[in-house]
Amino acid sequence: MNRQLTELTDEELIKEFQDNNTLKAYEILVKRYKDPLMNFVYRYLGDKDSCTDVVQETMIKFYLNKDSYRSFAKFSTWIYTIAANLAKNELKRRKRRTIFSIDNNDDEKSLQIEDKMFLQPDRATDSEIKNEIIQKALLKVKPVYREVVILRDIQDLSYEEISEITGLPIGTVKSKINRGRAQLQKLLKNIYKE
Amino acid sequence: MKNFYNDNEKKYSNLLNDLKNLPKINTPENFEFNLMTRIQNKNFGDNKNPKINFSIYKFLAPSAIVVTVILLFFLLYPQKNEIQNQVIKHQSVADTQSLVSNLSNDNKVGEQLISKNEFKPKMIKKDISNQNTVQEEKSSKIQELLNQRSISVDDYLSGATVTNKAIQRSNVVKSGEEPIVDGFFVEKQTDKKTIEKYRNALDSLRKAQLKLDSLKKAQK
Repeated sequence: MNRQLTELTDEELIKEFQDNNTLKAYEILVKRYKDPLMNFVYRYLGDKDSCTDVVQETMIKFYLNKDSYRSFAKFSTWIYTIAANLAKNELKRRKRRTIFSIDNNDDEKSLQIEDKMFLQPDRATDSEIKNEIIQKALLKVKPVYREVVILRDIQDLSYEEISEITGLPIGTVKSKINRGRAQLQKLLKNIYKE
Repeated sequence: MKNFYNDNEKKYSNLLNDLKNLPKINTPENFEFNLMTRIQNKNFGDNKNPKINFSIYKFLAPSAIVVTVILLFFLLYPQKNEIQNQVIKHQSVADTQSLVSNLSNDNKVGEQLISKNEFKPKMIKKDISNQNTVQEEKSSKIQELLNQRSISVDDYLSGATVTNKAIQRSNVVKSGEEPIVDGFFVEKQTDKKTIEKYRNALDSLRKAQLKLDSLKKAQK
């Protein structure tokens, strides 16, 4: 039975979970999506602790609201939508916190490429530094563009899937991705010299 | 359209490569265990502090009460600045006024009696016409007073000459402590002569009444 379940598609698994309340089906889906969602939420929020919480919440919401899933939609887009909404909520909460905090100097902080001469030994590789800079730049991109860029260029989802997740028309998705990329390229102009 | 975005992908090819090659972030090892424990314990992290819904209806009842109280206060509270007839306050003027009103009533009675019995003593008519002229004179005097900047009502009522003092008309009419009541003035100024005339008129009317009675008796 277990072997059979692992062979099932996402949509079949959720149907099994909906119809028979099979916890194993739920567990398999969690296994399949926990890491992609974690990666997406981390790139969106930039904080491992809070993104673990967001993914946990996503899975809890999936468990509690399994019946709200409709079979005509792809399971991946459904679960990504939940995660994206929760990540946006977390971002809003953070913004509210920064509005009321006294030490709000985020605007003064500028993106700078670190000097390799003063790096710690465990971060010494070029790619690590680059990845860190890209992540920082990504967090500087406007959230509306950031979301679609991550979904498209990091999570490798199709335009149609992104359109479903964000609820935007495909044309809008494409233009937003383009603007997001342009913003990111501008922020990383020291790395990507045209 | 498709080409446009494909061209853009070429433009950002380096960036896109780097984005795709970013290290994948994985969940912690105990992620599933924690999740399943939460589910088994039914610890779904419901909000301990439920969101307080702001509703305008919650404010309707208290605001309605406040508004009602304010309205009732203004409607029922006895107004301190109530405008009172200053002439009535002044006893001498009030007496004069009552006398004048009595006289006018008596005149009416007399006229009625005269018309009924076709008895028209000339003196009565003369007195009435005198009364009218006196009143006209008085009203013209009042007008003159109004034109002046200040008056002293006490002096004027006692029959003394009018003296111009640096007091406002309203302050003369009112006591001065109470708020100013602009536009109020003593309508009928009386003096001793006028009162005397009215008394004479009253006496003549009474005499006429007596004559009328005697004529009636004689006719009988």
